[in-house]
Amino acid sequence: MSESHEALPEQRAWMTLLQKAGAPVVSVLIAIGIGSLIMWISGYDAGAAFAALFKGSLGSPKAFGDTLLRATPLMFTGLAVAYGFRAGLFNIGAEGQLFMGGLAAAYLGVRLGGLSPAVALPAVLVAAMAAGAAWAFVPALLKARIGAHEVITTMMFTYIGKYIVSWLVVGPLKAPGQIPQTEMIGASAQLPRIQSLFSDAALQSLPILKLGRGHMGIFVALLFAVVVWLILKYTTLGYENRAVGFNPWAAENAGISVPSTIVKSLCISGALAGLAGAVEVMGVHHRIFDQFSPGFGFTGIAVALVAKNHPLGVIPAALLFGAMSAGSGTMQLEADVPQKIVLIIQALVIFLIAAESVVQWFIQKRQKEALARAR
Amino acid sequence: MNTKWSRFLAVALALTLLVAFVPGCAKKTTDEGTTGGKTEEPKTTVKAAMVTDVGGLGDKSFNDLSYEGLKRAEKELGVEIKVLESKEITDYESNIDQLANAGYSPIFAVGFLMTDTVSKMSTQYPDTMFGGVDEFFDPVPSNVVGLTFKEHEGSYLAGVVAGLATKEKALSDKINDKNVIGFVGGMDVPLIKKFEAGFIAGAKSVNPDVQVISLYAGNFTDQAKGKELGYSLIEKGADVIYAAAGAVGLGTIEACKEKGALFIGVDADQYLTVPNSGDVMLTSMMKRVDVAVFETVKAAVDGTFPGGTIKEFGLKEGGVGLAPFHDFENKVPQSIKDAVEKAKKGIIDGTIKVPDKL
Repeated sequence: MSESHEALPEQRAWMTLLQKAGAPVVSVLIAIGIGSLIMWISGYDAGAAFAALFKGSLGSPKAFGDTLLRATPLMFTGLAVAYGFRAGLFNIGAEGQLFMGGLAAAYLGVRLGGLSPAVALPAVLVAAMAAGAAWAFVPALLKARIGAHEVITTMMFTYIGKYIVSWLVVGPLKAPGQIPQTEMIGASAQLPRIQSLFSDAALQSLPILKLGRGHMGIFVALLFAVVVWLILKYTTLGYENRAVGFNPWAAENAGISVPSTIVKSLCISGALAGLAGAVEVMGVHHRIFDQFSPGFGFTGIAVALVAKNHPLGVIPAALLFGAMSAGSGTMQLEADVPQKIVLIIQALVIFLIAAESVVQWFIQKRQKEALARAR
Repeated sequence: MNTKWSRFLAVALALTLLVAFVPGCAKKTTDEGTTGGKTEEPKTTVKAAMVTDVGGLGDKSFNDLSYEGLKRAEKELGVEIKVLESKEITDYESNIDQLANAGYSPIFAVGFLMTDTVSKMSTQYPDTMFGGVDEFFDPVPSNVVGLTFKEHEGSYLAGVVAGLATKEKALSDKINDKNVIGFVGGMDVPLIKKFEAGFIAGAKSVNPDVQVISLYAGNFTDQAKGKELGYSLIEKGADVIYAAAGAVGLGTIEACKEKGALFIGVDADQYLTVPNSGDVMLTSMMKRVDVAVFETVKAAVDGTFPGGTIKEFGLKEGGVGLAPFHDFENKVPQSIKDAVEKAKKGIIDGTIKVPDKL
């Protein structure tokens, strides 16, 4: 698959599109098929299940808001993992950076809550990025200086990060009361819900704006997806990142400092993961506690994979995972399908990304055919 | 050849999609079959539901026990029941929201992490009844009942058993003469302190000189830590260990089996839920979440839902209690059984006041 797509003539536009987007789409379709088969065999109503999944994720403005809510952190962790991948780095520890970002947001959110939102929001977001980047910095340095594998080090840092949060929420940062959690962040440090931006009259006349729990974090996520795409495509920073990812030795020969690129890449990846934690704290829970992330950092790996490490591809990929998560409740309620089935379908999607090779093979066949005919 | 292959691919894809939607039609008839098979008329229109916490069903603890309570309500009261499992904390609100929207009431939210969500949803759905398992509200919304337990009362009984057992050499070769017993706690939070306080009070009531060593794991999940804490308790001479620490206790059971000590389980009858634990499992302090859930559904059916209150289920209400001794049934002397009965009576009639904090 690594042989270049441009090697053969007859490269038509639809072929490029299919090569880039086809495999994920086909994978999703096949996963739905196999998922249905599993449900059918176990005696569940697959048609009703997918109808419920659709209803719970896209069936109403409120359901769509829920999809947006769940896609927001995944967009950030997806971007984080994808950015690292493009430099050939596997940041498996996005979860730990996410916890650190969330911690920074929860800590500063309480203290800056009195300022105006125009100051508090960017300040808290930047602090969360810094915290995430800092958490990736040590593994990055170890990788750049002594070659310690980032899969091990970032993973270990995830444990450290999670346990630090776990200790802080039962100890020094615990809010009064029974529950081990921090105090609620100030109103001006909270990312408002999308529907709260509109007046009641506007909501009455345009019910489509009633997006329920969907919050402004999604716009921050979309903005960052575009920014990361621009960085990768048009800046020296992004060029170095990609060059090291393609071939570190060639990059070194061309005068790019590989160690410094590794450090920069992992820190940017960590900053993006830190933002995932921040939007969860600022937009959803308004505080941090032990289990505030169900593993968004790890799901981010799957999101990046489905997106084929393209920053803009992360947007639909995160929305897909968000939709599956949002619809699983309705699936249980209306079709009596256990939510584990949704997890199975998610796993199948990832697994079937391997179908990429099938699509590649199919297109190259067509191209060779056309070539033969031309001769 | 090549076109053949692409046709094959297209057909395969079409078939997969077909499979996705055909069973939808096929299943409906069987659905009607099962509902038609139910001969008994429903006695009530109450629809009760629960939302699990992220532990989900199969946790052999709270979620499963609450579900037991609901299933009993379905069987005995004829209510319609539904369970929504949560995979992540974000699911709590949407699951409760959907159930309330679909007309379920009462809705049980299992676990203290859902406290805030229940408060919030209770104002959004003022006509829906909510039950919060292990949740404490202040003030309590008028359509919410907090279901809490007097864990200290059950732990007192566990303490009585442990305090006497550590002197009962005939009980097992694991008993030494150091007169030390141990306690393993999950998180150092007031809820777990209730267990510890009751346990110590119970042990001292029958064995004033007993030394109780308490250690905390800092979470409810780390089994390796539970084993380590078990080792160090046994090293210090503890021969009966009580763990109120969720899955951490499973590690402590391992330590007891390896180094030789008796164990008192928690929440469920762990003799039944933990495989191969019979040789160390003296008894368990059961938190009857199922009783609390069932009683609350029953109240809702009878129209006496105790909204706006915190219900405390203690020994008197059958909300906590000791599990059978199982494999130790014949070895436990009558004197211990009598002491447990006496303590139980005393707590129920109020002559024994069990402390709920240290």
